[in-house]
Amino acid sequence: MTMRLLFTPLLFIIMLPALAQTKLAGRVTDRQGQGIPLANVILAGTYDGATTDNEGAFSFETFETGTHKLVVKYVGYKDFEQEVVLAGRPVVLHAALEETINELDAVEITAGSFMASDESRRTVLKAIDIATTAGATADIAGALNTLPGTQKVGESGRLFVRGGDGNETKTFIDGMLVLDAYGPAAPNTPSRGRFLPFMFKGTSFSTGGYSAEYGQALSSALVLDSRDKAEMTRTDIGLLSVGGDVTHTQAWERGSVAGKLQYTNIRPYFGLINQEIDWRTPPASWEGVGAFRHEVGKTGMVKVYGNMSRTDFSLYEHDIDNPASRVAYALQNDYRYINAFYKDVLSERWTVRGGAAYTYQQNDSHAGTTATLETEKGVHAKTVFEGSLTDKVELKTGAEVLQRRYSQDIHTEGMPTAIRAFDETCIAVFTEADVYASNRFVTRAGARGEYNTLTGKTSVDPRLSMAYKTGNVGQVSLAYGIFRQTANNTWVRLNANLEAEKAEHYILNYQHVTGGRTFRVETYYKRYRDLVKYTGTTEPTQLNNTGRGSAQGVELFWRDNETVRGVDYWVSYSFLDTRRNYLNYPESAMPAFASRHNASLVVKYFIEPLKSQVGTTYSYTSGRPYNNPNKTSFNSERTPYYSDLSLNWSYLPKPYLIVYFSCTNVLGRDNIFGYTYSDTPTGDGFYNSRPVRQAAPRFLFVGIFLTLSKDKSVNQLPTL
Amino acid sequence: MKHLHLYLIALLAWNITQPAVAQGDRYTAAMQPHIRTVYTADTVPPLQNAVNALERIATAEKTRWEPYYYTSFGYVMMMNYENDKLQKDRYLDLASKALAHASALVPQESEVVALEGFILMMRVSIDPASRGQQYAGQATQTLARAVALNPENPRALALLAQMQYGMAQFFGSSTAEACANARSATEKFATFQPANPLAPQWGRSMAEKLQGTCKE
Repeated sequence: MTMRLLFTPLLFIIMLPALAQTKLAGRVTDRQGQGIPLANVILAGTYDGATTDNEGAFSFETFETGTHKLVVKYVGYKDFEQEVVLAGRPVVLHAALEETINELDAVEITAGSFMASDESRRTVLKAIDIATTAGATADIAGALNTLPGTQKVGESGRLFVRGGDGNETKTFIDGMLVLDAYGPAAPNTPSRGRFLPFMFKGTSFSTGGYSAEYGQALSSALVLDSRDKAEMTRTDIGLLSVGGDVTHTQAWERGSVAGKLQYTNIRPYFGLINQEIDWRTPPASWEGVGAFRHEVGKTGMVKVYGNMSRTDFSLYEHDIDNPASRVAYALQNDYRYINAFYKDVLSERWTVRGGAAYTYQQNDSHAGTTATLETEKGVHAKTVFEGSLTDKVELKTGAEVLQRRYSQDIHTEGMPTAIRAFDETCIAVFTEADVYASNRFVTRAGARGEYNTLTGKTSVDPRLSMAYKTGNVGQVSLAYGIFRQTANNTWVRLNANLEAEKAEHYILNYQHVTGGRTFRVETYYKRYRDLVKYTGTTEPTQLNNTGRGSAQGVELFWRDNETVRGVDYWVSYSFLDTRRNYLNYPESAMPAFASRHNASLVVKYFIEPLKSQVGTTYSYTSGRPYNNPNKTSFNSERTPYYSDLSLNWSYLPKPYLIVYFSCTNVLGRDNIFGYTYSDTPTGDGFYNSRPVRQAAPRFLFVGIFLTLSKDKSVNQLPTL
Repeated sequence: MKHLHLYLIALLAWNITQPAVAQGDRYTAAMQPHIRTVYTADTVPPLQNAVNALERIATAEKTRWEPYYYTSFGYVMMMNYENDKLQKDRYLDLASKALAHASALVPQESEVVALEGFILMMRVSIDPASRGQQYAGQATQTLARAVALNPENPRALALLAQMQYGMAQFFGSSTAEACANARSATEKFATFQPANPLAPQWGRSMAEKLQGTCKE
């Protein structure tokens, strides 16, 4: 008892510090007052603090005394800080956190835009998707042709977007314009892109309403971001049924250099498979590619890419009325492209990127007794600054110069040489701001000013887009813009005073993404003005800019790589209603490259026990218009529908070896793209015709790709 | 590479030996319950609670790498209990961010480098088809570096073995090297003595399971 009495005061003394405990309690919410669970409440510099409960409430006690800083942290919100005085009295506080605009949560403008990227995680496609799409034969345009917004034009191979022709799509590599992104092709045979899909870490394919940074394109901008430095030294060898290539990559700590030499010769292949074309010498080409990458300073990067190639072929064109009569046509194409790009971080908020690109292209063709030499040289230089003005305003601004020199010399035996040439300089400035009201709502407003020496005119074109998140997975976006493009070389070389052609885009998009499933629906209206118009059939005269047109449509896209294990598929459908009165059209009509319905189904299946990926693509295009001079109404006839079922198979027997097989048009459908008519009628006033067919019903491709490196687990999958 | 997501399940069969070291200083005492939670909790809220507590310790103890290490580990565990791919990546982003603090403090610590490699493995597991090429090589290199930094670290060796095994299976090549590493990792686990009560102790069952698969 005595002991107990003695101990009580002692206990009391020991307990004393406990009385100096301060209780801190309160609530953590967002600006709308919604409680934030699992936020971290920290008494800075101590171990003390708490995690908020489901309602955002917290409560803890501390032995600390004096003035301290209380910090509240939660992902996606700015840190909240407040001084608190700890003196035994309970402290109650309310922390209303302000959300940060961050890449993962912020709404994204998706109207008119398809992104394929390995870095960004919300993209609809990955770079590998482009390479492994059956029927695309590893061609960028071929793969993008399975997306909504494109119209398949089988005899061209180019990207035709929303009622625009193939020239209305421009390709940019690291922001720099490529004057002709497609290799040469024989008449009515599809051309292939000059750039392989796996050179790029990101592909942004816009079917309208794109950024003010991109000009001189009426319908579409294909923006390709090249890969950064290669990680390891390696040699790749490809043996193809139509040629071969060898690539060597040397990598060091801060950079890499790669060189590739490729030879393609379709001659032996054409000997095996019956062709629609009467080849004299089928296409053969040499191509050399070089890429250099180097990191500069802490954050800078220099990229240089160069590509040179020579292609030649010759064939016989047969007269429609008298097929026995034939004319030889031969083409040699020389192409050089070099692109130097630099990017660096200027400060915490600003980055700069810029570069210069040079394209040289020459077509030396001979048809009968006429020799034509067509040369185009272009230089493009650009600088862009990007940065944040505040947490919620991002700005992009820049300037560019595009200079082109075009000439066409036509020499016919016994005639003076005809020269048609023009020079164009186009100077542009652009600026664009993204203003975030919150992570849910963004407005992008911009403008592009251009001065063109051909017309001597200055123009300012507005661009506007908005996006709003309707929930966690859905968002609506819309885009508007005016776009202009110098008329096609074919017309400007005849009349250098032609105005630029213009298009106005209105786009509304809804996108819904959950896990591995993506649903998109988009509708648009597009108006063309100042299109080139002329009179005459063989010799265009009175060229002017009175042509007009419009396009409208609805497009659907669905992708699912979640429902069935190992299976990834997408479906796209485009409806297009377009009419134009341009060129020498007697009235407003649907152009021959347009089709009302386009649908694609792409399926990829990974069979693990077989170490194989198999893929199939089905494409359907409804009949396209053609003009039958035997009929009174213009462009009123329709071709049969187009359809194609393609298969591919990639087999990886060893980590460093890939065997690849692909076949287009497995069912062998005889697709007809249109009809060409004789220039002159026969005696009874009837114009004879000949269908434009596929060069061959199928294209078979077999390749073996071998990679030699120190690490034997590396293969060429990325380059397929 | 498709097997990667299975690794985590193997990993989660913890057998942590509770070291018989007396709870010494205040720092160690504060850390231990939260370390236990990141090893054993199987839902996000307790994991986040532990990670928050570890973060508070980290802000008070500016020179210790362990709070960041276990914060990072905790986020990897949260990623494992999340189904949404985007959210999985977010957790891995947070894991990388926390681990960057640890590597700034102890750049040559094999355990930290091994966890970095583990995070890369998990990146692959989210989307093996499109990420395999980019991250699988990086993950292997990082894990090899962790082994080089401390050849006696059984976790680094076990993770490397797991990665090599997955790659070998994917390509149908020999698993000999992977299995040799798995065996070696198991042996090292058997004799492994944590340097202190806060030293990482996970991964033993993963190594044993892999070795078991190798024997079949």
